[in-house]
Amino acid sequence: MAQPKDSSLKQTRKWVLIADKIADNSITIGGLLVICTVFGMMVFLVWEVIPLFLGGSVQKQTEYRLNASPGRVLAMKLDEQKTIGVRVTENGVLTAWHAATGTILKAPSFDLQGKKITAVATTRNGHHAAFGFEDGTARFVEITHKTEVNPLNEMPSGLKRLNDRDQTDGTAVYSEIPGRQFRKMWIEVKLYDEIKAFDSGSPIRAMDCRFSQFGERPLQILAAIDQKGQGRLLKVESKLNLFTRELKTEVTAAELPALPENVPVVHALVNEVGNTVYFAQQDGTVYRFNVRDFEHPLLAETTRLTEPGVSLNVFGYLLGEASIVAGGSDGSVNIYFLLRRKDAHSQDGYALVHTRSFESQPAPIVGFAASQRCRSFVTQDESGNLWLRHGTSERTLLKVKESRNESSSGGGKIVLAPRRDGLLALLEDGTTNLWDIDVPHPESSLHTLFGKVWYEGYPSPSYTWQSTGATDAFEPKLSIVPLVFGTLKATFYALLFAVPLAILAAIYTSEFLPASVRGKIKPSIEVMASIPSVVLGFVAALVLAPVVENWVAAVIMAFVCIPLSLMLAAYLWQLLPPPMALRLDGIPKFICMLAIIGVSLWVTYSLGPLFEKYFFHGDFKAWVNQDVGEAAPFWFLLLLPVSAIFVSTAAGRLIGYRVNQYLKRARPFPAALVDLGRWLGIATASIAVSYGAALVFQGLGLDARGSVVGTYVQRNTLIVGFAMGFAVIPLIYTLAEDALNAVPAHLRSASLGCGATPWQTAIWIVLPTAVSGVFSAIMIGMGRAVGETMIVVMSAGNTPLIDMNIFNGLRALSANIAVELPEAPKDDTLYRILFFTGLVLFGMTFVINTIAEMVRLRFRRRSAQL
Amino acid sequence: MKLKPGVASVPQAENGNPDAAEWQEDPVAPESKEPEKVIHPESSGVPGISTPPESVAEMRKTTVWDFRARGEPFVWGLGGALAIGILMIIGFIALILYNGVLTFYPKPIDVVTLREGGVLAGEFVRSDVYRPGPDTLASMPKEIVEQIVEEDKGKVTRRLYRIGNYDLYNEDFKWVPEYSITGTTNPPGLYFFERMEWGPFIGRIKSVDLNGKVIPGDDLSRDRLKTALQRASDRRKSIYELERGRMGDVNYRMDKARLALRKVALNKGEDSPEYKEAKARFEAASAELQSRYDELAKEAAAIKELDGKYTIMLADVSGQEKTLGLSNIVRCYAANSLTLFDKLAVYFSRWGEFLTQEPREANTEGGVMPAIFGTFCMTVLLALAVAPFGVIAALYLREYAKQGALVSLVRICVNNLAGVPSIVYGVFGLGFFAYVLGGSIDALFFPERLPNPTFGTGGLLWASLTLALLTVPVVIVATEEALAAVPQSMREGSLACGASKWQTIKYIVLPRAMPGIMTGLILAMARGAEEVAPLMLVGVVKLAPELPVDGFFPYIHLDRAFMHLGFHIYDVGFQSRNSEAARPMVYVTTFLLISLVFSLNAASIFLRNRLKKKFFAGHF
Repeated sequence: MAQPKDSSLKQTRKWVLIADKIADNSITIGGLLVICTVFGMMVFLVWEVIPLFLGGSVQKQTEYRLNASPGRVLAMKLDEQKTIGVRVTENGVLTAWHAATGTILKAPSFDLQGKKITAVATTRNGHHAAFGFEDGTARFVEITHKTEVNPLNEMPSGLKRLNDRDQTDGTAVYSEIPGRQFRKMWIEVKLYDEIKAFDSGSPIRAMDCRFSQFGERPLQILAAIDQKGQGRLLKVESKLNLFTRELKTEVTAAELPALPENVPVVHALVNEVGNTVYFAQQDGTVYRFNVRDFEHPLLAETTRLTEPGVSLNVFGYLLGEASIVAGGSDGSVNIYFLLRRKDAHSQDGYALVHTRSFESQPAPIVGFAASQRCRSFVTQDESGNLWLRHGTSERTLLKVKESRNESSSGGGKIVLAPRRDGLLALLEDGTTNLWDIDVPHPESSLHTLFGKVWYEGYPSPSYTWQSTGATDAFEPKLSIVPLVFGTLKATFYALLFAVPLAILAAIYTSEFLPASVRGKIKPSIEVMASIPSVVLGFVAALVLAPVVENWVAAVIMAFVCIPLSLMLAAYLWQLLPPPMALRLDGIPKFICMLAIIGVSLWVTYSLGPLFEKYFFHGDFKAWVNQDVGEAAPFWFLLLLPVSAIFVSTAAGRLIGYRVNQYLKRARPFPAALVDLGRWLGIATASIAVSYGAALVFQGLGLDARGSVVGTYVQRNTLIVGFAMGFAVIPLIYTLAEDALNAVPAHLRSASLGCGATPWQTAIWIVLPTAVSGVFSAIMIGMGRAVGETMIVVMSAGNTPLIDMNIFNGLRALSANIAVELPEAPKDDTLYRILFFTGLVLFGMTFVINTIAEMVRLRFRRRSAQL
Repeated sequence: MKLKPGVASVPQAENGNPDAAEWQEDPVAPESKEPEKVIHPESSGVPGISTPPESVAEMRKTTVWDFRARGEPFVWGLGGALAIGILMIIGFIALILYNGVLTFYPKPIDVVTLREGGVLAGEFVRSDVYRPGPDTLASMPKEIVEQIVEEDKGKVTRRLYRIGNYDLYNEDFKWVPEYSITGTTNPPGLYFFERMEWGPFIGRIKSVDLNGKVIPGDDLSRDRLKTALQRASDRRKSIYELERGRMGDVNYRMDKARLALRKVALNKGEDSPEYKEAKARFEAASAELQSRYDELAKEAAAIKELDGKYTIMLADVSGQEKTLGLSNIVRCYAANSLTLFDKLAVYFSRWGEFLTQEPREANTEGGVMPAIFGTFCMTVLLALAVAPFGVIAALYLREYAKQGALVSLVRICVNNLAGVPSIVYGVFGLGFFAYVLGGSIDALFFPERLPNPTFGTGGLLWASLTLALLTVPVVIVATEEALAAVPQSMREGSLACGASKWQTIKYIVLPRAMPGIMTGLILAMARGAEEVAPLMLVGVVKLAPELPVDGFFPYIHLDRAFMHLGFHIYDVGFQSRNSEAARPMVYVTTFLLISLVFSLNAASIFLRNRLKKKFFAGHF
C-alpha cells in the first residue's frame, strides 16, 4: 500500500491502526475458534466413546490379615458400600470386619447346636445361606447389613476412627456421607427353623438354595442330594395367618429320580422358580432334573461339561439364571445355556448347549463369584489369579493376583461387590485382599457391537438390538448391525425412488424447458427442500401409510403403468404433424405430460382392484403372506424391465436397421405409425418373454415372497422410501440441475450447430460433461437420507430387524438415537453406545459427503477448463 | 444448415441454448465424409444426421423425420419425472392447505339412525372401504352379507363420526358401516360444546342453572346463553389468573427464599451466624408469603364456590344427561343452524384460541401459543448465536487466512459439516452442552438446587446453541459466497485510497455482502426452525408449564425447557392417547410451521434475487 509521503497529508490516525489490529486478531482468533469448535465436536464424540472399549482398572488394592479361620470358609458377603465384610466358617462362627482396614467388629454368630455342616449353599446376593447337616437336616440363615441414615449432628461421640470416611464403636461402622448425614451399618443375623430335608437322616452331600420374597411371603427353595444319591427339591413357604398374625411354614418336597448309589456329587444348582435342578460330579458329569411338574420330576439329561480327565471345579449361574458357568481344572471357563433343541439327547427336548468360551486361566479354576447386577463374574484359579469376565461380551476385563504368603493354603472365598466396584478375596489363613475396581462398560466390545452374539435364550447367535428389558435380570443386546442395516435399507429404497425422478427431472428442466419456466420451477422445488422432515414423517405415517395399505396393489401397478403410458403418449405425439409438434413444444407438451400422469394415476386407481384380483389373487396382503396365489405374477412384474431391454436390443439387432432405413425415407405420419407399431410389438413381446420367464422361475420353485417382499406391515420401508425420497428429491434435483446448467453454453451450441437434436445434445454432450456433478448430487442426497431422523422415527415402525422385506419396518441409527438417548442415564453403557452410533452416523455421512465434495471440486475444475 | 421453408422461423432460445431444429432436411455433404456411418448407423455412438443412400437430389424433396435422433419417448420420460415431482409437491401442499385451513371450520352434526336400533350424533370425519373378515360377515344379517358379497365384491364402506361425549361413551370416534345406516338427518337444536376436559360434547341443552335460577333449554335465547357463557369464562379466567398468576407468584417467591437459605447453608455452614440470620429472615418472609397464599387461596375458593352454582344440564342424542359447570365450556354452537357469518365467527374464534391460548387435554385441544413462543425464542437466540460466529469464521477464511491447501481443506470440511445429520448435533449438544458445560455451571453457580439440574439438562440455551452449531456451516458458506461476490477491484480501490484492512472490510466489503449474509442467516433460521430431531435430545418438552420469558428476574430463563411447533406435531400426532382426536391439531400446527418455514425461505430467496440484481447493476 502506498504510504502517504506528502507531509501535508495527515498521518493515519492511531485508532484506525488499533482497530485494524484488534479486528485482525479477533477475526483470526474467532475464525479459528469457530472452526476448532466444529472439529471439537468430533473429538468430543470420540472421547465419550473410548471408555466403551477400555477394560477395567484397579483403583486401589488393600491387603490385611484376619485371624485364621477355624476350618473352611462357608460363606462371605460384602455390602454395597464395601463397608463391612462378613464370613461364616465351620460351626456357624461369624466374623465381621471393616472391609477397608480389616478391623474386626463384634457380630453375632449362629448357634447350630454343634451339628456338623456337610454342605453349604448361598444365594447370589449373599443375604441368605443354607447349611446342610450330617443328620439330613438343613437350615436357612439370613445375614443382613443393617443401615440407618441420620443427620450428622446426631453422630455419637467417642468413636474410633478407621479411615477418613469411617468410624466405629466396635459393633457398627459410622460413615460420613454427602448432604451432612452419616450412615450407621451393622450386622444382624437370623436363623430359620430346621428343615428335615431327608427323613432317612443320611448326610447331605451337596445343596443349593434360593430365597425369593413375594410380598410378605418368603419362598425358600432347597435342592439337596444325600450320600446315597437321592435328590430332593424342597419348597418352604411361609404364610402369615391374618387373624393370629402367626407365621406358618409349610414344606413341600419333590422326590427326584434317584441317581446311582454313591454318585460323588459335588455341585448342586437350582433356579429361582424351582423347576430345574442340576447335580454335578467332580468329573464333569451333570444330571439335569426337569421339575416343571412338581409331582413328577424327570431326570431329563445326563451330559458332560468338561473334557475327559478334566474335573469340573466351578458350576454356577449368572444373573438371570440362563447362563451356567463351568470352570475346569484345566483353567477353562465356559458358559452353557439350556435350550430347546431338535436333536437333543434328553427326555424333554432341551439340552445344555455350549455357547460361550472364555480365555483360559493358567491354573485350575477353583473359585467363582457372579455379580448381582449384570452378567459379570470372577473366576479364581489355584495360584491366586482372579479374572473378571463378562458373560455376554466374553471379555476378560481385569486380571488381578492375590498376594499370598508362603504359608497360604488354598481354599477361601471370593466375592464381587454388589456395585461391581470391588473384589474381596479371603484365604483360609485369613489373608484378605480387597481391590477397588472400576469396570464401567463390561458388556460392550467390538464383538458385541458388530458381531453375532449368542444371547441367552436364543437358539443361535444373532445380530440383535434390544437395549432395555422389563426386569433387572434382562441381558442387554447391543448389536448395532440391525440399525446400520435399517439405515442402509431406508437409504437404498429412498434413493431408488428419488434418484431417477430427480435426475430425469433435472435434465428436463435444464435442457428442455424454456429459461423463463425454469426460473419459476426451480425455486419452487428448492422451497420444497425446506419442508420440515417432521411434517413429511407425519404425512407419511398418518396419511400416506393407511392409503398405501389399502391400495398397495394399485401403487405397484402405478410403477408399471406410469412409464408405459408416458411411452405410449410419446409415440402418439410423434403422429402429430411436424409443424404442430413444433408449435406445441415446450409448455403445452409439458402440460400434456402432466395430464398423462394424471390419467395414468386415474387408470391405476380404477383398475387397481382388477389388477389385484388377477395378479395377487384379489388380496395382496394374503398374497405376500404366501397364503394365496403363486409366485409368477410378481416375477413377471420384476422381470418386465429386464425383458423389455432384452427384447428391444434383440429387435434392434434383427430388424432395427431395416426399420430405421424405412423410417428415414418415409413421410412423417406413416413413419410415426410404423414406429408406434414397432414399439407396441416390442412391448407385447417383452410382456410375453417376461411372463414366460416368470413361469420358468416359478417352475424352478423360486419365490420372491419371504425375501424381497413379505408380510405387510403398515409402517414399512416402502412408505419410508416415499417420504425420504420426497425429502431428498429437491436436494438432488437442485444440485444436479446446477451441475447440468454449469456445462458451458458453447458446447451445447456446437452440438446443436452440428445438427444434433436437443435430446442428442443432452444425452451425449451435456450429461457426460456434468456427470461428476450429478454424481456428487446423488451422494449428497444419500448423505441426507442416511442421517434423516424424524421421517424414520415416525414412519418406519422402529423395529430393529434384519429383513430384506420391503413391506416390513426398520429402525435406523438416527431414529434409534432419537428414541433411546433421552432415556439413557448419563455415562451408562447404553448412553455411550448411542454416542458410538452417533459417531458411526457421523462417519458414514462424512465419508459420503467428502467423496461428493471431492467429485464436485473435480467437476468444477474440469468444467472451468472447458 | 438449411431448413425447410415454413419452419425456418423456429424460435431460438436467447442465451445460446437453442431449442433447435426438431426436424431437419438432410444436409448435403456428410455422405462422402463418413462412409462407415452409412453402413452401420446403429453402431455409431455419435448421433446426428442420417444419410440414406439415395441421390442428393432425391433427398432434397423428402422430409425425413429421424425418430431415433429425436428421442421422443426418452424426452417424455424426462418430462414425466418432472411432472411427477411437481404433482407430488402440489398434492402435498394441497393436502396441508386443505386440512390446515378447513380444520377449524364448523361442520354440521349428523344424526345417524342405525339399522339395529339406536341413534348417534356426530361430525362426519371421513369414510373408507374395507374388507370385513369372515367372523364379521358371520355375525351380520344374511341379506346384507349377500349384498356385500354379490354387489360390492366383499367390500364395505364405512364412515367415521366424531361422536364426542367421551365421559359418557368411553370413545369419541366411531366407525359406522354404511349398510347399518338407515338414515341421516341434521336436526337443529343440536349443539357442539368444546369443553375444558373430556373433549367435545354433542347434544342438546336441557336446562341452565344460573345460581339457582333454572331456565329450560327451550326458553334459552342465544344471547342469554352467550352472556352466561361469557360470564362463566370471565370467572374461569379470574380463577386461572389467581391460581397460576398470583398464587404461582407467591410459590415462586417462597421457592426462591428457600433456595437462598440453602445457599447460605452451603456456603457458610449451618452453624454460622450468617445462616442464623438468613434463617430468621427466611422464616419471616415465608410466614408473610404463606399468609398471602392463604388469602389468595380463600379468594380463589370463593370464586370457585360461586362458579359451582352456574351449571348447565346437557343431554346427548339418546337422552343421556350430563351436568357441567358453565365455566367448563369453552365454546358452543348450534352446529346445524349456523349462518355463514356464524360459521366464520366460530372459525376465527378457533383460530384466535389456537394462536393465543395454552394447550389443553394433553395438547390435543386449545392453542399452541407456548410452542409458537418457544420456537420464536429459540430461533432468535439461534440467530444471535450463529450470526457473529458464522460471519467471523467466513471473514477469516475469505479475507484473512492465507489461501492454500489448508484453507481448502477447511472449506471442504465446513461444506461437509452442513451434511452431518442433525441428530449427531443433538447427541453432541446433550453430551457437551447440557451434561458437561451445564453440569459445571450448576456445580459452580447453582449448588443449592442440586441434585435438581438447572443448566445441567436440556433447555432453551442449549437447544439454541446446538442448532447454532448445526447451522453455522450454512452461514459460513453463504457469507463466503457473498464475500467472494464482492469484486476484488473494490477492495483494491479502498486499500489504494489508504484505508486499512478493517476499514475496507467494514465500509466496503461487508455492506455489499450484507444481503448475502442476511440470506444465509435467514436460511439458517429456517433450518433451525424446522429441525426437531436434535431438539428432542436438548430441551424440548411436550408441555412446558412456564414460558422462557416471564415477569420474574432475570426475565429470560435460558435454562427452561420449552415447547416447539415441530415437536408438537410429533408429540400430538404420535404420542397422544387418541390420535384421531389429535389429528386436526396436528394439521393446523403443520400448516403453521410450514407457513413459517416457507416465509423464511421465500424471504431468503427474495433477498438473494435482489442481491443478484444489485450486482448486475453495480458491476461494470
